[in-house]
Parts: sequence; C-alpha cells; structure tokens
Amino acid sequence: MTSSIAEKRDITSKNKNKKRSQWAEVWRRLRKNKMAMVGLGILIILIVSALSAPLIADYEDVVIKQDLINKLEEPSLEHIFGKDEFGRDIFARIIWGARVSLVVGIVAVGISVISGGTLGAVAGYYGGKLDTVIMRIMDIFLAIPSILLAIAIVSALGPSIINLMIAIGISYVPTYARIVRASVLSIREQEFIEAAKAIGASDFRIILRHIIPNALAPVIVQGTLGVAGAILSTAGLSFIGLGIQPPAPEWGAMLSTSRAYLRYAWHVTTFPGVAIMITILALNLLGDGLRDALDPRLKQ
Amino acid sequence: MHKYIFKRLLLLIPVLLGVTFIVFTIMSFTPGDPAQLILGESAPPEKVEELRAEMGLDDPFLVQYFRFVGNALRGDFGRSYRTKREVFAEIFARFPNTLILTIVAIAIAVAIGIPVGIISATKQYSLMDSISMVGALLGVSMPNFWLGLMLILAFSVGLGWLPFAGFEGASSIILPAITLGTGAAAIITRMTRSSMLEVIRQDYIRTARAKGVAEKKVVNKHALKNALIPVITVVGLQFGYLLGGAVLTETVFSWPGVGRLLVEAIKQKDTPTVLASVVFMATTFSFVNLLVDILYAYVDPRIKSQYSK
Amino acid sequence: MLKNKKFIVILSAIMVFALVLTGCGPNNPEGDNGGGGDGEAAKDSLIIAQGADAKSLDPHGTNDQPSSRVSKQIYNTLVEQTVDMELVPGLAEEWNQVDETTWEFKIKEGVKFHNGEELKASDIKFSIDRMLESKEVAHIVESIESVEIVDDYKIIIKTAKPFGPLLAHLAHTATSIVNEKAVTEAGEDYGQKPVGTGPFKFVKWDAGDKISLERFDDYYEGPAKLKTVVFRNITEGTNRTIGLETGELDVAYEIEPIDKGTVANHKDLQLIEGPSLSMAYIGMNNLKEPFNNEKVRKAVNYAIDADSIIESVLHGAGQKANSPIGPRVFAHNDTLEPYGYDPEKAKELLKEAGYENGFNTTIWTNDNPIRLQIAQIAQAQLKEIGIEVTIEPLEWGSYLERTANGEHDMFILGWVSVTADPDYGLYPLYHSSQHGSGGNRSFFTNEEVDKFLEEGRVAIDAEKRAEAYKKAQEIIVREAPDAILYYQTQNVGAQKSVKGFQLHPAGHHSIYEVSFE
Repeated sequence: MTSSIAEKRDITSKNKNKKRSQWAEVWRRLRKNKMAMVGLGILIILIVSALSAPLIADYEDVVIKQDLINKLEEPSLEHIFGKDEFGRDIFARIIWGARVSLVVGIVAVGISVISGGTLGAVAGYYGGKLDTVIMRIMDIFLAIPSILLAIAIVSALGPSIINLMIAIGISYVPTYARIVRASVLSIREQEFIEAAKAIGASDFRIILRHIIPNALAPVIVQGTLGVAGAILSTAGLSFIGLGIQPPAPEWGAMLSTSRAYLRYAWHVTTFPGVAIMITILALNLLGDGLRDALDPRLKQ
Repeated sequence: MHKYIFKRLLLLIPVLLGVTFIVFTIMSFTPGDPAQLILGESAPPEKVEELRAEMGLDDPFLVQYFRFVGNALRGDFGRSYRTKREVFAEIFARFPNTLILTIVAIAIAVAIGIPVGIISATKQYSLMDSISMVGALLGVSMPNFWLGLMLILAFSVGLGWLPFAGFEGASSIILPAITLGTGAAAIITRMTRSSMLEVIRQDYIRTARAKGVAEKKVVNKHALKNALIPVITVVGLQFGYLLGGAVLTETVFSWPGVGRLLVEAIKQKDTPTVLASVVFMATTFSFVNLLVDILYAYVDPRIKSQYSK
Repeated sequence: MLKNKKFIVILSAIMVFALVLTGCGPNNPEGDNGGGGDGEAAKDSLIIAQGADAKSLDPHGTNDQPSSRVSKQIYNTLVEQTVDMELVPGLAEEWNQVDETTWEFKIKEGVKFHNGEELKASDIKFSIDRMLESKEVAHIVESIESVEIVDDYKIIIKTAKPFGPLLAHLAHTATSIVNEKAVTEAGEDYGQKPVGTGPFKFVKWDAGDKISLERFDDYYEGPAKLKTVVFRNITEGTNRTIGLETGELDVAYEIEPIDKGTVANHKDLQLIEGPSLSMAYIGMNNLKEPFNNEKVRKAVNYAIDADSIIESVLHGAGQKANSPIGPRVFAHNDTLEPYGYDPEKAKELLKEAGYENGFNTTIWTNDNPIRLQIAQIAQAQLKEIGIEVTIEPLEWGSYLERTANGEHDMFILGWVSVTADPDYGLYPLYHSSQHGSGGNRSFFTNEEVDKFLEEGRVAIDAEKRAEAYKKAQEIIVREAPDAILYYQTQNVGAQKSVKGFQLHPAGHHSIYEVSFE
C-alpha cells in the first residue's frame, strides 16, 4: 500500500522534473531563434501597451470622443495617426483596440482549444464507439466552412464581442480536436501511461496529468497561429457587417468601416491595417519559432 | 482502392445529414421570422401569420426538417424565400463562379508557392530565401478584403489594366484570384520550404549526393517527390478553406459567387438557399478531401498498399 | 544550372495560369461588353450599377427598390407619376370617378406586350386580382373590392370604402400590369421570365451579377433610344464610383457621400442630385419607460443635432426634416418648426420629467453603415445630456421581429413614401392599428391622429385630405413619438455623355428617355 503511493509520487515528481527541464530546453532553443524573439518582442510590446492603454489615453475622453468638425484630420504631432471619420484619435483607438483584438483572438482560441482539446483527448483516449461518434461530429463541423459557421452563429446571437469570440471559437473546434486526438493516440500506448494505469490512477487524472501535458506542443503551435487567424476572421466578419458593437475600437471594424475613405484619407485604413498585419506577423514568427523549438528532430 | 473510394462516398451521407441538421437547427431557432422578412417593414400581423402558415413554418421543427430531407432526396431543394427562384437553379448558376475563382486562386497559390518554396529551401539563408519568407509572412498577415481594395486601386483605377468588379470575361478573374490566393500562396510556400528542408536532411538524400548524383537531379527526383506529400495535404485543406472564405473576396469584387449568396441568404433567413449552398459546399469539400487522399496514394506507395488491404 | 530550372518553373507556372484563365471565361452572349466605351460611334448600350441584385422581376412578388428599378423599365402602370410627382395617364388613357367608390378607366388601344399579345381589359383585371392575392403587395391595392370588365378597353374599379389615394397607388411599381398568358405559361418561374408593356424587354439574368434588357421596338410611345440596358450588381459603394472612373459603368446609383466630390469634379463624369421621398428617423418605444414620457422624447429631439448628422454622415446630402413626410409628398406641412439642437433645453426637459441624472438605454440598428454612423453620433450627443446609450446592431431579421414585438428602447429606421401620398407615409407609421409589424414600431397611440389619418384616407376632396393630414402632422411632431432626422437627397453618378437621365423621387428612374451624346 504505502509502497504504491510512494511509487506514484515518485512517478509524478519525476514527470514534473522531466517536464520542467523539457520546457527549459524549449525556451533555450526558442531564444536562439532571432525571428521568433522579434515576434515575441512585438507581442510583449503590444500586450504591455494594451494593458497600459488607460494610462496612454482616456477611453471616455479620447477613444470614443467625437470631434465631427475635425473628422479625417491628417496625422500631426498632436494626433500622430490622425483622426477617423468621427474625428476620434486613431492612435488612441489602436492602443485600446489592441485590448479588444488580442482578447477576442486569445479567448476565441481558448474556447476552441479547451472544447476541441477535451473532445479530442476523450476520443483519442477511449477510442472505439465514442471516438467514432465524436470524430464524425467533428467531420460534420469541418464540412461547414468555418467563416460561414461563424456568420451563422453571429447572426443568430447578434454581434457583440462575446458572441464573436464564441462564433470564431466554435468554428475552430474540429481543428484542435483532430490535433489533440492524433497526439493522444500516439501517447496512449506509451509506457508511462501504462504505469499510471497500473497504479490505479483514474482516467480523468491520466488525461489531465499525463496525456494533455504531453499533447500540448502541437496545440501551442497551432494556438499561436490560431490567434492570428481569429484576429483575421474578426476583421472579415466586420467587413460583412457582423463586427463588434460600435463605438468600441476593434482593428478589424476600424479597417472595414473606414474603407470608404481609403482614397481620401490614407491614414484611416492604413494604421489599423498595419496594426493587424504586425500582430499577425508577430504571432506567426513566434508560432514558427515554437514549432521548431518543440520539434526534437530539429535539435542540432 | 475502388472499395475505399466507395466507402468514402458512403460516408458523405451522414456528413450531409449532420450538416443540414445543424444548419437547419441554427436557422430555425434563431430570431428573425422569414415571413416577416419577406413582407418587410410594414406588414399587418395577420398577413405575416398567413404567410408563415403557407410556408409551413408553423409545423414542428422535425416535420420541417424531414420534409426538407425528403424533398432533397428527390432532388428538390425548394424555392428561395427571397427570390422564389428554384434554389437548385440559382446555386447551379452561381456555384461554378465560386469554383472557378477558387481553382484559379489555388492554381496561382501553387504556381507561386511550390517553386518559391523549393528555391528557398535549396538556397536556405540566402537573400532570395529571406525575401520570399518575408513575402510569405506578409501574405498571411493581410486581411484579404483590404488587399483586394488596394489591388483595385492599383490595377483598375491607377493603371487601368484590369476590370474593377464582376465577371465580365477572363481578365475579371485575375484580381479576385490573386486576392483570394495570396494567403494560400504564403502558406504553401512555407510548407514547401519546411518540407523540403526536412527531406533534404534525410539520409537517402545524403547518400544520393555522396554517390555524386547531380544536385538538380537530387532536388527534382529524390527530394521533391517526398517533400510534396505534406504540401498536397495543405493544398487540399487550403482549397476547402478558400471555398468557404471566398465570400469576402466575392463581396469586394462583386463576384457573382455562391459565398455572397449564402451570406445574403443567412441574413435574410432564406433557409432553402442556405441549406442547398451548404450542401454544395460540403460535398465539394469532401470530394476535394477524397481527391487529396487518392493523390496521396499515388505519391506515396506505402499508403496505397494500406488502402488495398 | 539553377537559373535554367527557375526559368522553366516560372514559365510552366505562367502557362498553367494562362490555360486555366482561357479555359473558364463566363458564358457571355453579348459580343459587345460595352466596357471602356467613349469615342465609339453611336453608343447605344447603357450599363447601370446598383448596390444589390433584384429579387424578382415579378412586380407582384416583391416590393424592393433594386427590383423596382429594373421592373420600371419592363412594365407600365395604369397611372404614372412624373418626376414632379404629377399623376398622368399610363396604360389608362383617361379615368373618371363615377361615385365615391367607383372609378372608370379607359385603356389605351394598341398597346403590345413583349410577347406580342395586345393589352386588354382582361389583363388589367388579371393583374389587379393577382396583386390582391399576393402577400407582398396586396396592402397597396387592398382598398380595391372588385375590378369589372366593361369591354376590351374599359374597366370599372370599385373600392370597399372611399379611398383618396387610389390613383397614386395605381402608379406604384408594384401595380404594374402583367400579361395573363405569360404569367400562366411561366408559372412559378415568372419572376425570371417577365413580360410587360414597357420600353425594354427582358433578355437574360445572370444571378447575382447582372440583368440584361433590350429595346422593345413596338413600345406604344415609340422605341427607346438605347438598344440595350444592363443592370449590374456592384455591392461596394466605393466600387461603383471606381467603375464610373474606369469607364466600365455608364451610370451608378447611390454614389457614397464621400465619393460625391470625386464624381462631380471628374472631367468625364456628372453627379445628378435630387430630392427623394425617403425620411430617416430615430424611433422610441412609446410604451416603455422612460419614453412613455413625452418630455423625455422631446428632450431626445432637442439633444440630437440632425444638421451635424447630415453634414458628417451624408456629407450634406440631406435636408433637415420638420415632419415625417417630406416636401415632395402631398400635403406636407411646411409651417411646422423642427426641433432645433438645444442641449440646455433638453436637460431642462429631462429634469422636469424626473430624469435629472439621465438614464441608461439602448439603441438598435441593423448593419446599414449609415445607420451605424447615425447611432454613434446620437450616442455621443445623448451622452451630453446624461443619457447613456448602448448601440446594439442586429441582423435585419431579428431587428424586424423584435421591434415588432416591442422589445426595443430606441431604434433607427427610414421610410419611403413611394406613392408621394401622405397615406402611404403616415398611416403605417403612426396609426394605432399598425402597432409593431404593421410599421408603427414606436407604438405611438393618439386618437386624434388616428381620426385624421382615417379621414384623409376616405376623403376624396384634395383640400379636405390636405387639411386632415396637416393636422395629423402637427400633432405627431408635437407629441414627438420619434426623432425625425432628415429627408435624404438621392444621387446618381454618370458619364457626361449620358443625356436625358432624370431622377425620380421614388428612386426608380426611367431609362426610356436616356441616350448617349
């Protein structure tokens, strides 16, 4: 009895140590990748400015404050990105927009990772009929083009930030379910799972403590790229009139609602467009770096 | 192999049933009354009621769904609530446009992505490599409706070379296809490059090189074939993705495709049109997946032997 | 060696691309696309762009503007309304009112349908009966009780009750006269196979893309000057202007406000502007607190600066409204004073109403970009007087349904008095029998207004009608069930070589007189 508990503890702590050193190794490799570090740097700057947005510009007095007389004003020292069609400061809106866009992206991916990941893990771990049922349902969702699924959901629930996150999140569930299932299938048969089973660990515990951590690598890579995809999807939904509630600043909405002014006031579309591009670029650089860093075959 | 294809086609049936059921549920249980939408801003409530009854919208949900399935099996997808046109005819008129656009976009993406990816990989860390990788990154990071608007400004307004919108002839397809294909081109480039790099590191390539086989032959014969396997998957996935994502490009370029029809139909709660377009899209998507798997088998004999078991 | 390979790769790529391109052009029967256009001798093909595809060319099957714009060229109505909103004979040569509920129409002889059939009284009876059957347009002719054929060229229309605006209603595009044989033959597909008596006949419809029409040589008023007319569907407003600039379009409807200057100042283009019959308003739910308080509704009226909305959203293309019906509509009351922009007074009214500290509310809109902009400006202006507004954009379907159910606080909508008659402009919006889906989404209830609106409806005498409607307008504006914003100015951009284009205030412009220089 006691010996088995000790054994169990031993396995977990060993695993923990192994995990820690594994992540340290990944970080060490990632640090060597210059492009990934550039991406990470950009993201950190974005996150910091999103967090400190209230210090940079007041929401009520700057971000949503209209100044119709000076609408579409060109960039100047005072308003470095100029003003939009309501005379609002574009710089302030971009900084605040980082909050919205990043949150939408991250939460949407979070939704799909958690629900897709769980489904995939359960399907892969138990196999058999359950696997078949879950994966067939995922196939069905996969056969509905994701942007169209998002459109249907947003038009059903009404456009708001939360509904957008849900819609985009749901539409990517099958992707993560597949990825996690594939990893779980390869992990399931490995020795340490057998060992855990042998000492009587519950399925829930095995999935949570052993399978998921080990299937994490591809999910992290896909998730990083997924945030980028979600931000682009949000922009796309704004374009067809299913964006967030105005006057909240969101890059995609800023870009698409100002497209009529594209030819007359270059700054109105350019800055939100560039903000989106830089963010996606950074996420991609980081995602690529992570992929390389997490892939042991590339260890040289 | 035939047996496998047959099995896959059979699998399409539950998928389509599931897809239509989900879509039907979404359309039925969300706010917005089709009858009210047909009649507009000013319609006496009793007229709305009458029309609802006439359209069979008051029947229980399952009755409505199975009526749809029953009719669809006989090839009758009904008439659009909005245009009263036969849905099948409308989609048949518009689906080819989306398909053409997607095919050309994928063709462009492949024509750019694979060669550039190969060159990048064979000349890793060269200037060419950096340029194409930066280009590929920019390609995936641009919201494509924005790219489309810029292309119109440059090539239609600025240079006057290409039509600005619609489907007026072969030249009309160039700008929308570039817009739609850019993201895919970028993804295919990156995939080709990384896949090539991986293959080039393999032992048999080293062996071939060591044996003194010409570099050109190494790349073309040995590396390329193996490197293309994952690329094919990506191309297939991208095809499906573009087919569904064409709606934005179609809107920017007023392209008479099925994506725009579908979005319009969703907004107008035109259930028959929505269901039929989704069936078309899902079927195409499944066929493309099947095609990819078959291609796979040809490229990689190991897989083929698996199927024939 | 690698250079060589690169070359081959690029070359093959281009070849694949070219092959794909040539292999898949659209089926385009007309050899002449009409694109590019200027300089060619005697151009007689007109390309028009509008923002949406027609739904159906069956005039009794739909009542939407994009369809009406095309149907207008294909069909005629018994009575026609000129661009000055004057009622003139159309297919009816003359008419007279026998008694309060009986009208006799004499029909023009020798009018041909596009299928060669001659127009007879039976077609008119068939058309009106068909309208009455149609759920989409029945409300336009619902006053009609029966149509009797006297002989081939004479009919008698009887209304159940006296109905003042009958003639204006018979000029509505939804009352277009169709051919009985053509309708019966086409069955359910009639919407794609229209047959009318108009100056242009239907040729081809590329779904979602364009509708092609061709001159009808036997048109009873003489053939049109143009040989073909194509209605293209160009969704993006900016692109319609671009199409004019590149010469691929001859006429573009609804130029975006911001693009107006570009069109007006372009050396080859002209901007045609004129009044329309449309009115935009912010509605309030009169049954719900706090909008059941007249003072609050007035405060909202004083707080919203319609002029600044016209200036920034429409770039000046609108006129501040003083009544729910505009100056082009019969019996417009021009003595009414619009609520001016007066935030101080608004605050005072709120205080009197017991909302000194303002309140929180929501404003609904659909995804129409202009309404979204209005919502944002209104939000900012209401904030000045302490009303905190949340904007909720809804899908059109749920928007209609939920405003009909009265779930809303405030909302933004527009209304077009298509017939230029006050009955069409006021009854659905303000009569208490029309609450909800009938059109009265403010849930305004006022017995006096009801009485005047009914009076105006049944009176035949123009002066008596005018008096009733003027009084109704006065009460409506005084009670302020909504905040009426502006009458929109409509515009069309065109090549300078396009001559004879006249704007119709109802928005469906006739192409009959149009020609190229």
